[in-house]
Amino acid sequence: MSSTTTTTLPPLPQPERFQLPGGCPVSVLRRGGPAILSARLWIRGGSAADPPGQRGRSQLLAGLLSRGCGELSGDQLADLVEGLGDDLRCEASEDALVISLKCASDDAPTLLPLLEAMVQRPWLDPDQISLERQLNLQTLARLREDPFQQAHDLLQSHLYGQGPYGHDPLGVEEELAGLDRSRLLEAAADLGGQGAALVLVGRPPRDLEQLLHPADAPIWTARPPLALPGQQGEASPALVREEQDTEQLVLLLGASTVPLGDPRSLALRLLQCHLGVGMSSRLFVALREEHGLAYDVGVHAPARCGASPFVFHLSSSAERATEATRELLSEWQRLLDQPLSESELALALAKFRGASAAGRQTCGQIASRQAMVLGHGLGWSYADDALRRAGSLDPATLHAVARQLLGRPSLSLCGPPQALNAAAQVWGAHPLGRSSPEQGVS
Amino acid sequence: MPQSFRPPLQAADSFEDPRLLRLPNGVEVVSLNQEQAPLVCLDFWCRAGSAGEGPDQAGMAHFLEHMVFKGSERLEAGEFDRRVESLGGSSNAATGFDDVHFHVLVPPEGVAEALDLLLDLVLKPRLDPGDFQMERQVVLEELAQSEDQPEEVAFQRLLSLACPQHPYGRPILGDRSALKAQNPERMAAFHRNSYRPRRCSLALAGAIDGLVLDDLLAGSALADLEPVPSSALPGALPPPAGPDLALRPGVHELRLPRLEAARLLMAWQLPAAADLEAVAGADLLTSLMAEGRRSRLVQRLREDRRLVESVDLDLNVLEAGSLALLEAVCAPEQVAAVEEQIAEVWRELCCTPPAESELERARRLVANGYRFGLESASSVAGLIGHQCLWGRLQPLRHPLELLQRWSVERLGAELLPLLAPERACRLLALPA
Repeated sequence: MSSTTTTTLPPLPQPERFQLPGGCPVSVLRRGGPAILSARLWIRGGSAADPPGQRGRSQLLAGLLSRGCGELSGDQLADLVEGLGDDLRCEASEDALVISLKCASDDAPTLLPLLEAMVQRPWLDPDQISLERQLNLQTLARLREDPFQQAHDLLQSHLYGQGPYGHDPLGVEEELAGLDRSRLLEAAADLGGQGAALVLVGRPPRDLEQLLHPADAPIWTARPPLALPGQQGEASPALVREEQDTEQLVLLLGASTVPLGDPRSLALRLLQCHLGVGMSSRLFVALREEHGLAYDVGVHAPARCGASPFVFHLSSSAERATEATRELLSEWQRLLDQPLSESELALALAKFRGASAAGRQTCGQIASRQAMVLGHGLGWSYADDALRRAGSLDPATLHAVARQLLGRPSLSLCGPPQALNAAAQVWGAHPLGRSSPEQGVS
Repeated sequence: MPQSFRPPLQAADSFEDPRLLRLPNGVEVVSLNQEQAPLVCLDFWCRAGSAGEGPDQAGMAHFLEHMVFKGSERLEAGEFDRRVESLGGSSNAATGFDDVHFHVLVPPEGVAEALDLLLDLVLKPRLDPGDFQMERQVVLEELAQSEDQPEEVAFQRLLSLACPQHPYGRPILGDRSALKAQNPERMAAFHRNSYRPRRCSLALAGAIDGLVLDDLLAGSALADLEPVPSSALPGALPPPAGPDLALRPGVHELRLPRLEAARLLMAWQLPAAADLEAVAGADLLTSLMAEGRRSRLVQRLREDRRLVESVDLDLNVLEAGSLALLEAVCAPEQVAAVEEQIAEVWRELCCTPPAESELERARRLVANGYRFGLESASSVAGLIGHQCLWGRLQPLRHPLELLQRWSVERLGAELLPLLAPERACRLLALPA
C-alpha cells in the first residue's frame, strides 16, 4: 500500500481589481508563458432564468451577441476576430451567460472593447435571430441521437420539473420556435442585473480600464454578484425511462443537492473524487475493473448556483442490464451505509488537490474557473480555501452529508425494452427504488 | 476597422527549444521546461498503432493499451493508478492508427516515482489471463458504446470505403470476433515486437526545471530495453507500418437508425505527416475553407444558404497519407444542394484565387491555435514526444515559420487540386 503524499499547490496570487463604471468587478491576473490573454465575462442568468414559455431564450441571446453589436455587423465582427486569428464566443450555461475571449496579447486592445458592445448594444437583427434559432432547433434535434443525452434530459426533467434546471440550455423546441426579437430585447436589457464578473488572465494590454469602458460608451449597469439562492430540487425518487434500439443500456442514478456556495458542497466534491475521479476511483474499480460492466463510468456533479445535480453514470451491454443495475444501486447504497475509510479519504483528498492543480494550467482554465466562482458570489480565494478546509473534513462528516443529501436518488434509463424491464425489476426490488413511482414511460 | 499586416510570430513569443537526450540503447528522450506550469507531463510514445497490426490482430494495439494498465511484473492491477493518483496525478492513454501514447500528469515532486511507475507499467506489462478476460469485456463495452452513436458508425463506414485496402480503413477498436479470438500470448508477442528502442520515445514537459534526467532514467525500464542491432535497422528510423495510402474515390449511401439529421461525409487524401511543409499548407487550406464563420464553406452553407447546421473540415495528419474529413449536418432534403455548393466553393477557389487577406486570416488562425496549445504541459509533451517518435523534432517556432512559405498561388497550384470533389470518397448517411 502506498502512502499518500500531501502535495501543496501554491495559492493563486491575488488579482489586480477595479470596477467598471456601472459596477461590474474586474479581476486581472498577470501570468507569463505564451503572449496571450484569456477573458471571461460571467453574467448571472443563463437558462435557469428563462421565463416560463421561453425556454431557450438565454442561449439564443448568447448566440446573437456576436451576430452584430455596436458599430459592427455580425460579418464585420467575425472578420475582425477571425482575421486576427482569435476566438470570441458567448454561450449560456444553466446559471450564466458567459462571454469568452482568447487572443494573442497584441490583439487585446482591438478586441477588448467588443465586450462592452456585446452586452450593451447587440443588434438582435431579425434575420440573424431567425438563423440562430434555426441552428439551435437543429442542434436540439440532433442531440436526440445520443442515448446519454436522452437519459440525461429525462433525469433533469424529473429532478427539476418545469423549473429552471429542468431543461437543456438550448431550450425546448416548441418554446424556442416562438422566441422573437421583443423577447430577446427584454433578455438583453436584463444582462448584468443579477450580477456579473469579468476576469482576465495572461498578459493584458496597457490602459485596460479605458479599453473595457471606452470614453463614448454608455455605462453598463452590472452589480457585483451576490450569493443569491438558486433553484431548488424537489423531486421524490422515481424511475424514468426511454426506449431506444441500442446495444447498451444507459443508466443515470442521481439526486439534486446543494449550491456550490453551501458548506456541504465541499463534502460532495470529495465524495465525487472518491467515487469518480481517476482510474483508482470506487466506481471505476468496482464496476469496470472488477465486473467489466462498462467502459465509461463516473460521477457527473457540476457546480451550480442552485441545487446541483449529483449523478452516477454507466452504460453497459443490454444483456447485462440486471447485473449493471444491481451493482450501480449497491454502490449508491454503500455510500449511505458506510463512511469512507481513512485511506479512501486521503486518496480522495490527493485527487481533489491534483484536479485543482490540473485546472490551473492555462490562462483560459483559470479565467473560466475564477469567473464562475466570483459569479456565484464567492471569493477569489474560494478554491484555495476549499483545499485547506478539505483537509479538516473527516469520514463521519462526509457520511453525514451523503445521508442527508443523497438518500433519495432517482434512476433514468435509455435502452432496448428488455433491458429497461430488467433494470426496472432490480430497481423495484431495491431499498432505494421500492415504493418509488414510475414516471414518463415512453 | 483597418487591419495591419503582421506575421503570426509575435515579438513577445519567446520559445525555449526542446532538449534531446539519447540513451545508450538508442531511445530518445525529449524535454521542455515551461515557466508557469504547476505540473509535469510524462508522455511515453510508441509506434504501435492499429496500422501495425497483422491480419489476425485487429484491435490488438488498442486492447494492449487497456491491458497495460492492468499491472506489470512488479505492479499489482490497480496499483499504478492508486499510486499515481495518491501523488495528486492522473493518467491516460490513446491509441491511433500510427502510434499509441501513455501520459501521466503529476506535481513536480512526484516525477521520479511516476516516471519509474510509468516505464515499468508500459514496458513490462503483466498480461494476466484473468485480467485479460475481464478487460476484453471492457473493450467490448467500449465498442458497443461507440456503435450506439450513429455518427461514429457513419465515420467508420466512410473510412472503410475510402481506405479499403489499408489499415486506416479498419476500426482501431477492432471487431468482436477478432477480439474474442485473441489471447495473452499473442498480445505479449505484439508487445515484444513493438515496444523497442527506436520505436518509442519519452517526453517530459512542464515544471521540470532542476530535474536531472540522466539520473532519473539511469536503471529505468527504458534504459534497460535491449538495443536493436544496427544491422536489423540500418540507417535512420524504421519506416511507418503499413503501405502508402491510396484513397479510393467513390459515392456511397447508408441508412442508419436513430439518426436525426443527415450527414454528408467526404474524405480526401493529403500529403503524409513527414512532409511538414505540405502539412502546414494543408492546415492553412482547410482553415481557409472551414474554420470560423467567415471561412468559405461555413459562410456559404450555414450563413448564406442556410443549408446546414454545421460543416467541419478536419485535417488528420497521418504517416501513410493524411486525410481531410468533411462533415456537413443537414436535413435529408438539403443533401443535394449541400453537395452542389461544396463543389461550387471549390470551383470558385480554383477560378479566382482568394485575396491575400483571406490567406492571412487562415495563417493567424492556425498560428494562434498552435500558440494556445503551448500553454499546458500535456499538449507540449504530446507535441514534442510525437515529433521525437517520428524523427521530426524541431524548434517550437518552426511550424509558425512554415506557414509563411505558402502563398495564395502555391496553395492553388499544389494543394487545392487535391481537394477536388471527384477525388473524394463520399458517404451520405440518411435516417433509416
